[in-house]
Amino acid sequence: MFRILARRVSIIVALALVVAGCSDSSDTSDSTTGGSTLPVALAAKQELTVGLSQDQNTTEGGQASLASTAPNAGVYETLLYMGPNFEIKPLLAERWEFRAPNTFRFFIRKGVKFHDGQPLNAQAVKVGVFDRAATAGGLTLKAGPESTVIVDDYTLDFTPKIANLRVFEQIVHASYPVIAPGSEPGKKPVGTGPFRFVEYVAKERIVVERNPDYWGERPTLDKLTFRFYPDSSSRRLALEAGEIDVAFDVPRADVKSLKAKGIQVPTAAVGGYEVLFADLTGKAPYDLLADPNLRKAVALGIDRKAIITGVLEDLATPDQSMVPPASLGTHASAVKGVTYDPVAARKTLDDAGWKVGSSGIREKDGRPLKLTLVSGFPTAEVLKPVPTVVQAQLKTIGIDVTIDERPDSASFRAKITTKEGDLYLEQRSQNDADPSFLPVVFMSDITEGGAAPYQAAFNPGQPFNGLLRSTLSEPNLDKVQTAVAEAMHNAVDLQNTVVALAGVYPIYGLRANVQGFVAHPTAQNVLWGSVRLTKS
Amino acid sequence: MSLRHGGLSPLQRYVGRRLAVVLPTLLGMSFLVFSVASLTPGDPAEEYAQRVTQRPPTAAELAQARHELRLDRPFAVQYVDWVAHAVRGDLGKSFFTRHSVAAEVRHRIPFTLQLAVPAALLSLVIAMAVGTVSAFYRNRPLDQVVRVLSLAGASMPSFWLALLLVIGFSVRLRLFPVAGRQDGLASLVLPVAALSLPSAAVLSRFIRSTLLEVLGEDYVRSARAKGAREVAVLTRHALRNSLVPVVTAFGTSLGHLLAGTVVIESIFAWPGLGTLTLDAIHHRDYPMLQAFILFAGLIVIVINLVVDVSYAVIDPRIRPGRRAVPGAD
Repeated sequence: MFRILARRVSIIVALALVVAGCSDSSDTSDSTTGGSTLPVALAAKQELTVGLSQDQNTTEGGQASLASTAPNAGVYETLLYMGPNFEIKPLLAERWEFRAPNTFRFFIRKGVKFHDGQPLNAQAVKVGVFDRAATAGGLTLKAGPESTVIVDDYTLDFTPKIANLRVFEQIVHASYPVIAPGSEPGKKPVGTGPFRFVEYVAKERIVVERNPDYWGERPTLDKLTFRFYPDSSSRRLALEAGEIDVAFDVPRADVKSLKAKGIQVPTAAVGGYEVLFADLTGKAPYDLLADPNLRKAVALGIDRKAIITGVLEDLATPDQSMVPPASLGTHASAVKGVTYDPVAARKTLDDAGWKVGSSGIREKDGRPLKLTLVSGFPTAEVLKPVPTVVQAQLKTIGIDVTIDERPDSASFRAKITTKEGDLYLEQRSQNDADPSFLPVVFMSDITEGGAAPYQAAFNPGQPFNGLLRSTLSEPNLDKVQTAVAEAMHNAVDLQNTVVALAGVYPIYGLRANVQGFVAHPTAQNVLWGSVRLTKS
Repeated sequence: MSLRHGGLSPLQRYVGRRLAVVLPTLLGMSFLVFSVASLTPGDPAEEYAQRVTQRPPTAAELAQARHELRLDRPFAVQYVDWVAHAVRGDLGKSFFTRHSVAAEVRHRIPFTLQLAVPAALLSLVIAMAVGTVSAFYRNRPLDQVVRVLSLAGASMPSFWLALLLVIGFSVRLRLFPVAGRQDGLASLVLPVAALSLPSAAVLSRFIRSTLLEVLGEDYVRSARAKGAREVAVLTRHALRNSLVPVVTAFGTSLGHLLAGTVVIESIFAWPGLGTLTLDAIHHRDYPMLQAFILFAGLIVIVINLVVDVSYAVIDPRIRPGRRAVPGAD
């Protein structure tokens, strides 16, 4: 009796499995995640949820950022796209060309429509990108009200109001989306992207759905939900529990345990840096690093390998620059970096007259060698415990470091403004393809106005400024890369005004069934069109 | 009936007097908040300008941002202007979102109340039950267990408890969502538990000790001597008389509970006033921060008033207008 029952049950189960297999509407597809090209069965429900940190979207006014940068939800597209190696690719502009002395011509893709049915043309790009930038003061593009000229329906010339030959590299930034004319970007974003906006609930979620009329390759995902988890522990636990499929900003400390639980942890190319900036113009007692010998000793006295292995969990690279190597192309090797050499560091200090005192801290003319390290961008919490490690390492060469941890970026910048520190630790990333972007903005004296606190404190003078200035009037990207690499070589290797610790990159967490995700060095440029969910 | 002056009972006059103090208290508090905010390191104009220009601002951009945010006026002018608008219900515009602060706060209050009200009620119910049982079984194994657990609950930081609850009930057992509001009532369970349990632990210890004190009183002994059952002695005679200090402690715990929402809302991605406040601190959004602190201050004042009035309801001996009964206060 029992045997008959068991056989019937097994037959029913087998039939159910066959029926389930036949009735499944999913097809098969190649998975490229992790380098595999094995065919995989797609899940019937293609709805992906992504966990992000803070909701940084703004919805007010013409500069509303909803669904464009934090996150880039795939609603909008830019004229050009920056690939994972900082290369420029066509997107809504099929071609582009520079027209001397300061004009940029874009050939707009034909046959593209906004989600509301309006056609994409030169007029739409003028209004949706360049006029919008002009209204906000020009932004990095240096756009002015008269900057844009429509050549024909699908061709447009842009001339910045001042010389700026980096427009092609800058326009890839996700904050330059092509917005549909007449739309309200703060309420209902309308773009040309593979996904259409569905809803935004502040501090909770952004939901988008597949755009069936997308001009490019149709996305596999039907629906994409971005949820905000301000607490990184909650975000990680939500990933483990399967509440989200993808997590951004995975803390390095979580990577090993996540991998052990079957979570994929793809990493991108280096997109940012962790560096110490030396204040070169401080007043006593913060005036010591005006001395190049002291800067050199600090650079020599830091064991970066120990920091990368011991603190950054080997999830960083020994690149010593504030410009991602990929963005410098073959010229990245011009920045050599400083090799850890405590003996040379001590000798440098000895030669400069800093003698070891009774407490082990060096002194000169009765003044102890004390430096203040301010830590705080993006937050001191993110940077912990790097300051403590640097403090311990520099103590071994006789430098007494006091750590001043700032809870957030605002109070960190306040310290730079009031110049109450010698070394400033920060971690930042580059979000466009312009290799000169970070050094120009943060260190050179050539930014319009030129009085930002960073520049006042950290500008190394010549030849750094001259090299960067040349990038504004140089159309050839290769020459720009050469100049920026030379400038960084000057700041890092020769003048030691930038004490670079490591190259960093974003870390993503993906559940095992997420395929086709391409980790990008800037989170704003992650594309969702190729992402799909498999059955497993 | 108690004496009346001008048609008002002593209780009504007492409430009136307390309400009259609310406005100057809020005014003082607003001045303090305004002063502290302006002394906080970090320039809101710089934060604002950086968001607009996508890079550190120049001196000219900073000046423009200060003008836009109306921070280029003297402190006193800014404060008086803010108060003049605030009394009309206009708390200014957020430095970050540029939305009306009053509207934003109004929008977020219900979310915080969704957590705070059930958490307050739950903590009271748990505390009453546990505290009473603990007192009833004084020094017996059950009491010992309850005391250890309540001590642990009272000592445990709420964020840690929250994460433990998430790991246990969301990640392991998959019973509740980790965070967010997407699952209706199920979404409420863990944040409410994380908010209420520490408060319940403190309160239950308080109830236990207060009950034990009252259980030693002569009238309780008399009730027992008359043959009243122990449960009746506890609930009818002892519990009500121990309520005055318990209500005071409960009122205080509500203030802590409101403060606790800042952390709990962040962990559970709950879009209430707590996360609004954290964002405001992060973005140096002073108008938003001032609004939250004013709101929190107002809530604490109202809670204290309700607590004071409830004394009179619970214990007739301390009603305003009555002569003080020795030992009653």
